[in-house]
Amino acid sequence: MNVATTTYTESGGHPSALESVSLSIGTVLTYAEQQLITRLRKGEERAFDELVTKHHGALIRMAMGHVANREVAEEVVQDTWMAVIEGLDRFEGRSSLRTWIFGIMIHKAKDRGVREKRHTTFSAFESFNDDTEEAVDPSRFHQSGEWAGHWALPPQPWDDQTPEKLLASQQAVNAMNRAIEALPPTLKDVLILRDVEGVEAKEVCEILKITETNLYVRLHRARERVRQAVETYLGGC
Amino acid sequence: MAQEESGQTSLEITCQEVVQWASAYLDEHVGDERKRHIVLHLAICAGCEAYVKQIATVRDVVGLLPKAVEQPLDSDRLRQAFAARERRSSPAGRRV
Ligand SMILES: [Zn+2]
Repeated sequence: MNVATTTYTESGGHPSALESVSLSIGTVLTYAEQQLITRLRKGEERAFDELVTKHHGALIRMAMGHVANREVAEEVVQDTWMAVIEGLDRFEGRSSLRTWIFGIMIHKAKDRGVREKRHTTFSAFESFNDDTEEAVDPSRFHQSGEWAGHWALPPQPWDDQTPEKLLASQQAVNAMNRAIEALPPTLKDVLILRDVEGVEAKEVCEILKITETNLYVRLHRARERVRQAVETYLGGC
Repeated sequence: MAQEESGQTSLEITCQEVVQWASAYLDEHVGDERKRHIVLHLAICAGCEAYVKQIATVRDVVGLLPKAVEQPLDSDRLRQAFAARERRSSPAGRRV
């Protein structure tokens, strides 16, 4: 398993990704990812730009949940890209490229966040307990009697509130963005990866090193908070 | 709301439980038995039906929110590091 250092055969024919990339036999990479890695290892700057453009925004957003401010988040992500560059030749493709990159960022962000925790007062460090917090306010359900556990205050249907309609309202968009930014990092990470970036559940679990059960608990709490923001917005219409 | 007589299979699961499983259900990530209970419950409970629809809307809309265009702190430094990589790269170690 050696590194593709001799690949300046150049233009015309597509280089076979498998030929020029040294990846472990059990690689989980798709053909497209293998091709991207081939281009990166060949030193193709456009491939690197593409990679950065694709993931930078989500990396910043997630990093901000773990550290004190935007400046630090940008440093963390810059460091992440440097580590990606450094590690490119050692990357074996046992996880997807994205899993690897986000894993590096989370490691760096948590590390930085822990060191800075003292100096911050914002919501990211609100105490959050996976086991005790209810997603939906329990007072909206009957507490006892025949209908215990059933809605006392059911949600009002949003009727024609399609995603498109909500997106057309700047107020609704702001309300949702505020709700997302206010999420504690454990919830924000899953929402950004799963719903914003569209990463498959299994890969989200790999990146965050959590179980699928845990993923859905967190994902649902995150979605519920955004739902509440929309509910509040609609109630005020 | 579930205002039918109790004892029906559809009420083997409460609204609170349906709510709790909503995201996993939407992702097809619940077992067959639980899925059956949820489907039956949703058929007769307007509150839960509305709730699950709202969560689906949230799931869909979150991915469509306009994203700020982000640029790295120091793109030039990254590009330079990337360009310099090849010169440095030796027959590399393995493992990540
Ligand atoms: Zn119900």
